[in-house]
This record gives sequence, structure tokens and C-alpha cells, in this order.
Amino acid sequence: MKRVLKLHSIFIAQYLKRLMEYKVDFLIGATGILLSQFFQIVFIGIIFSQIPALQGWSYYEILFIYGFSLIPKGIDHLFFDNLWMVGYQIVRKGDFDKYLTRPINSLFYVIVEKFCVDALGELVMGIALLCVSIPHLSMPFYWYTIPLVLVALVFSTMIYTALKTVTAAISFWTKASGHITHMLYMTNDFSKYPVTIYNNFVRTFITYIIPFAFTAYYPACFFLTGENPLFNIGGTVIAGVVLLAIALFVWNKGVSAYESAGS
Amino acid sequence: MSMIKSFFRKYKPFTSAGFQDIVAYRANFICFLIGEIMKCFIMFFVWKAVFNSSESETFMGFSMGDMVVYIFITFLTGYLAYSDGAYAIGEEIVDGSIAMRMIKPCSFDMCFLFQEMGSNIFKICVIFVPIVLGVEIYRFALYGAIQITLSAFLLYLLSLIFAYLTSFYINVCYGFLAFFLKNLWGTGLIKQVIIDFLSGATIPLAFMPPVLRNILNFLPFSSLSYTPVMIYMGMYTGTELLYRMGMQVFWLVVIFLVSKLIWKSAVTRLCVHGG
Amino acid sequence: MIYVKDLKKEFKKTIKEPGLKGSIKALFKPDKEIIKAVDGISFSVEKGEMLGFIGPNGAGKSTVIKMLTGILTPTSGICRINGQIPQENRKKYVKEIGVVFGQRTQLWWDLALRETYAVLKEIYEVPDDMYKKRMTFLNEVLELDSFITSPVRTLSLGQRMRADIAASLLHSPKVLFLDEPTIGLDVVVKDNIRNAIKKINEEDGTTVILTTHDLSDIELLCERIVMIDKGKKVFDGEISELKHNFGQMRTLRFELQKAADIDLLDYQKKFSATQDDIEIESDGALISVRFNSDAVSVEDMLSYTLSQVHVKDINVTDADIEDIIRRIYRREVSV
Repeated sequence: MKRVLKLHSIFIAQYLKRLMEYKVDFLIGATGILLSQFFQIVFIGIIFSQIPALQGWSYYEILFIYGFSLIPKGIDHLFFDNLWMVGYQIVRKGDFDKYLTRPINSLFYVIVEKFCVDALGELVMGIALLCVSIPHLSMPFYWYTIPLVLVALVFSTMIYTALKTVTAAISFWTKASGHITHMLYMTNDFSKYPVTIYNNFVRTFITYIIPFAFTAYYPACFFLTGENPLFNIGGTVIAGVVLLAIALFVWNKGVSAYESAGS
Repeated sequence: MSMIKSFFRKYKPFTSAGFQDIVAYRANFICFLIGEIMKCFIMFFVWKAVFNSSESETFMGFSMGDMVVYIFITFLTGYLAYSDGAYAIGEEIVDGSIAMRMIKPCSFDMCFLFQEMGSNIFKICVIFVPIVLGVEIYRFALYGAIQITLSAFLLYLLSLIFAYLTSFYINVCYGFLAFFLKNLWGTGLIKQVIIDFLSGATIPLAFMPPVLRNILNFLPFSSLSYTPVMIYMGMYTGTELLYRMGMQVFWLVVIFLVSKLIWKSAVTRLCVHGG
Repeated sequence: MIYVKDLKKEFKKTIKEPGLKGSIKALFKPDKEIIKAVDGISFSVEKGEMLGFIGPNGAGKSTVIKMLTGILTPTSGICRINGQIPQENRKKYVKEIGVVFGQRTQLWWDLALRETYAVLKEIYEVPDDMYKKRMTFLNEVLELDSFITSPVRTLSLGQRMRADIAASLLHSPKVLFLDEPTIGLDVVVKDNIRNAIKKINEEDGTTVILTTHDLSDIELLCERIVMIDKGKKVFDGEISELKHNFGQMRTLRFELQKAADIDLLDYQKKFSATQDDIEIESDGALISVRFNSDAVSVEDMLSYTLSQVHVKDINVTDADIEDIIRRIYRREVSV
């Protein structure tokens, strides 16, 4: 574990050196993300200018859920973005060879290699939304609220990363799977709004099949109401752990099916 | 007539190549499509919740049925009018292979246009019919009568073509920015976000404050998405319809001329670099 | 040291017919085909040996190397290096090997070269003093000093290759795999790299397995070669043996004074030799005759030629490996 952290910090240091060379590019990326989130919030604002509550959820409650959803997404984006590249090109071009000739875990090596500052767009927006909404909400506060926030963030990030790992690993068989990652990743937008607005099918789907609802709505729901911690937080933990186990299994299977490229 | 014939014969291979490309990457295409359509359904549910929570039948003049049409037809319009051939121009400029385009005896924008036409034929087959049918069946179920008129539909198609061509030439202009920009991904994201907003794809222009709405209605971006969608919905009639479509044509011509101008100066730049 | 037995690797491949029709067909009913990239190869390598792995494009060289380095999992067969099976405990295994792929770099593109080594030091857990010693040695052999502070993307191809080889040797591997180490380099740089590889093999006792297109690489570096074609081994042995078996082949080249005189020469009839023993190529007045000096002596060959025609210029050369290999490939025989 110590070695893992050490390697990780070395890679981040290398990455930051590289970042210094391409400052403007990263700034532009983060601005793009920030801007796109900003327009979404304007949209929510327009809706609430006409109605007092969205199926029982107030404006600030919606902002809280929306903001909460951006944080695990942003953390995943910040640290684990290179998984996208596995599905898009690393496997197809045969560049995965490199990761297999090193005495460290290939998944860890892929992940640690890139650190995506663009994600600050999501993190800044998420934190800003929480800061704006929390003063307007009368949320219950217990001694364990803060630790549970951390637990929820860790495990909901794990849900994102595990799903990306599974879909990236599909490329070991199919050469490219970026589109599958993309398709799955898009379902995460469902988690930005309360699941109560969806029909039963969607609700079941994002709770039990692709459990993105546990990355935002359920944990946020607990922090808003203090109800049902066992399901709201426990579900997040279980979903994270189960998906991670599946992800590691599929990844390892995939590595042995890897076909490289060329002759 | 024979000139037209030889024109099409010359560019037909590009269309065929474009079609083959998208068929080869059909899995990518379908998955992206599903991902994007998912967003429409999120919006659908959000609006359903809005109408459930609202006492009035309409929201700033839009009924639930209108909103459904708006969401899906905006998506369809945006998807069909979207042009990424120009992104390739940027990449070709960056890696210098644009020079290969210049030594061929065809107009470079026509090459891209016809190549994209190939992929668009595929896109139309796969998404146009299901979405239009789906929307109309939904409206039929809601109102008990067919809502779309033949003239609105045909005018929409015409307006969609203007939208596509405008989008194509805007992207050609953007592609040339590759001379100055390194990060095509980041700036591409910003460009798309801004265009989506200005064209009314993110939020219907009708929901915006009047001053902003009037400005955006005048700018070329509204003709990329908002104008065709409003025509589909039958919101524009009579002189307003003529005015809106006239604006589309006006901006198309302006942007076309701008792209030609940039291309000319780009060519000289290329020569200066000796590339 | 290295033991390979009956190694096989199969790939599945989708075949697309050309044109629009093919695209549409592939949409509904893609054709699949199984390709045997490596089809039952066996060989072994001793410690400290330098083995050349040769074969035409698509022969399966890289596939074998990738199985030996643990990148690919064999469909069947055994490969054991130092008593370890590459795929079994990959992380432990790769610490003992170094790998260089000539066509792609393992260096960090945007960073100074030195940084790559600093990261690799951590990845391979090389102790500080060992790292210093190693860097001094590699510096001396590969002359990295002049560009170690430059960003990798600014290096020339030759510098990059030297840097890549150094990167693969930082952790003192027991086996070094080099896949096309001289590809795309000019003659002087090639020479430079070959000398470095030789020195490393001698001083470190590193076992080297090398694939290449360039036969002079093999001639200068390796004592032994394994030649493969279409996934099968076609030759395994000393280079001298190969030369010995085929070494009797000589090439007689000459220029005729009158191109039309060529009709006066009929070697096959004169020496009643088979196509295998005498081959003739002509390009206008330039003639080259490849012949087996066991069947026809050089002397007879010369005297017959000179008695029949007037020549401007004439010379006889030994067959080089390239010739031999070309013959093997062309006839597709096993040796």
C-alpha cells in the first residue's frame, strides 16, 4: 500500500510537470466542462422560476443532489480518466504491451499514468452547488454525518471507476470499447435528478442494474432527510464493492485474452 | 445537365466511402446514439415531473406534448445537422496531410460534404424514421389525432438542410482554427456547449428573457436547431415562417463566404510554411 | 534459461469483402477466420546467448516475442524462462526481463528523459546505489549524457532507441528482448546500437533475443538464429552452419559487350544442372548467375563463360545470408 501511494505521488508529480507545459489546454478543458454544467443549472433555474417544487423537491434540494452527483464523477474523472483511453485506443493500437512489461499491476499502472485536471470543472461546480444549497436546507446533522459523507464519496467514486474498468476491459476481446463506456457513462446523467421523477423501469435500472442512483440520489437523500441510512449509504457501499470485484475479475480475464496488435 | 451529372459522378465515391466508414464503425455509432438518446429521456422525465408539479397545462406557452416534440426533434435536428467532417480538417491541418487534399482536382469542402453525406444517409435510415414515428405516435396517443402536417414536415426537411449546411461551414471555419489552437478537444467542447446554448438546444429560446431571445433569434445559431424545430412544431407560419427561413439562407451564405475567405488565407499560410 | 515447446497462438479475424456490398454484408453476417500466427514452435536458449529471430513480415516473430514477454497468452504449448512461466506470475517475471519494441517507445513523451528513468527506478524498486551504478554503466555504453535532460519528443530516432534500450536495462534484467531495434535508423546509428548491444551482452552476461528484418544485425550480433515462416520454424542453428549448407552458392556477375550474346550461353545444358543448382537473371547486358560450387566448380563456370562470350567486367561473390534466406523463403523448404 505504501508503495502504491508512493508510485501514485510520483506519477502525479510527473503529470504536473507535463501540465505546466500545456497550461492553456487544461484551462480550456476545465472551462468547457464548467460552462456546460453552468448552462444545466440555468436550465434548472428556469424551471423553478415557474414551479415551486419538482415532484416535492425544492430548488435547493435539487441543486444539492445535482451538486453531490458531480463530486464522485469529478473524482473519478480526476484520477481514473485513462480508462477511457484503454477502450478507445490503447488496446486497439497495441500500446497496452507497455503496461504488461512492468512489474506493477497493469490496471494500477494504466490508472496512475494520467491525472486529468479537466475534472476540476466538475469538482468546482459540485462543491459550489453544495455551498449554495446547504445554507437553504435544514439538513439533520449527526456526529457521523461527516464520516458518512466520506464513505459515500469513496464508494460512489468506486461505482464509476468499476463500471469504466469493466467496459474498458471489453476492448481486450473486441479491440475497441470506448463506445460502450460512453453509452454506460451517459446513464450517469440520470443520477443528477431524484429517482422519484422516473418511471419504474428506469428507477429499477439505475438502482439495481447500472446502479448510478447510488452515486448521487440515494446518499444525497440520506443527507437531506436522515432517513434509511442502511439502504441509502449501505447500498452505495455494497454496489461499489460488488462492482469493483466484478471489474477486477473481468479485467484480469481480459488481460489474458489481450491480442496486442501487428504481427 | 451533363455538368451536374459529372459533378455527382466525381463526388459519388466520397459518399460511398463515408457510408462504408460508418457501417464499419456501426457498433460505435449505435452505442453513441443510445447514450445520446438517454439524455432525451432524462429531459422527458424532468419535464413530466415539471408538468405534474405545475397547476397549469402549459409551461411558458409549451404543453407537455410540445415539450416532447421539442426534446426529441431538437435532438434529431442537432444530430443530423452535426458535422464533424470539419474536425478532420483541423486534424489534417495539424498533421499536414491537408496538402494531399489540395493536389486533388476536387474542391476540398465538397469532398468533406459528400463524404459526410454517406454517413448521413446511414444516420437517417437508423434514427430519423424511428424518432419521427415515435414522436408522432406519442402525440397521437396524447391528442387522439395526427398532429404533423405534410407541409410542416416538408418545410422542416428543407430547413434541416439549411441547418446542416450552416453547421458544416461553421465547423469548417472552426477547423481552420487548428492553425492557432493545439487543444481541439477542449476548445471543441467549449464551442459545442456555446453553440448548443445559443442555438436553443440546451434551453428553448422561448424560455429566455425577451432581450436575449431577440438577440439569439437574430444570430446564425438559432437556424441550426431552433428554427427547424419550431417549423416542425408548426409554431412559425405565414410571414414569420418566410422571415425565419430567409434568415437561415442569409446566414448560410454569409458563413459560406467567410469559410471561403479563411480557406484562401489558410492556403497562403500553408505555402508560407512550405508544408 | 529459455525453454519453448510446441508454442501455438491463434487469432480470430473478421474478414470484410471490399466495397459497399462487403460493408453491408459485414453488417449482417461477418465472416470469421482463425489465423494460426504461431503454429507449434520449439527452441531453447542458453544463458548469455544472443539469439536472432528472423522471418519475413507477418511470420509470427513478434507474436512469439510477445508470448515470451508475457504480453500474449499462448493458445497452447509451454514457454519457460528462468524456470518461470511468463503469464503465471507476471509481475514477478517481468522484473527479470527487459523489453524494447523498436516501433513504439516506452519513454514519457513530454518529459525529460531523466524523469523516465526516475519513474522506472521506482517501478522496478531499484535501490539508490544500484541505480547510480547502473546509470553510469548505461551512460558509458549508450552515451546518454548529451540528451538526458531533453524532453523525449525532441530526441532523434537513434537517440530515442538508445534511451529505450537503457530504460529496459535499468533493473539489470537477465533476459533482454529486442524487437526490431534498428528499424528506421541510418547505417552509422545502427552500428552504434549494435556495438552497445554487444557490449551489454559481454559485460552483463545478459541473454539477448532479437528480432529483425536487417540481416546484418544478425550477422554482426548473433551466433545462432531461429528462422520462422508462416508460424513454423524453418531453421534453427549456428549462422556458420547455415552458411556452410548454403555457402557453396556463389554468384557470378558480368557485363556483356553485346547484349544479344546472351543466347550463346546455355549453362543448364552445358553442365546438365538442375534449376536448383544454377539460376540466371539478366538485365540487358548485365547477367548474374547463382550457382552451386559443389555441382559446378568456379573454374569451369568462368572458363565456359569466357569461351562463349566477350565480357566487359566479371566478378564472383560468396552468398551472404540474405541470399540464403531468400532462397529458403522462395522455395519454402525446411532445412
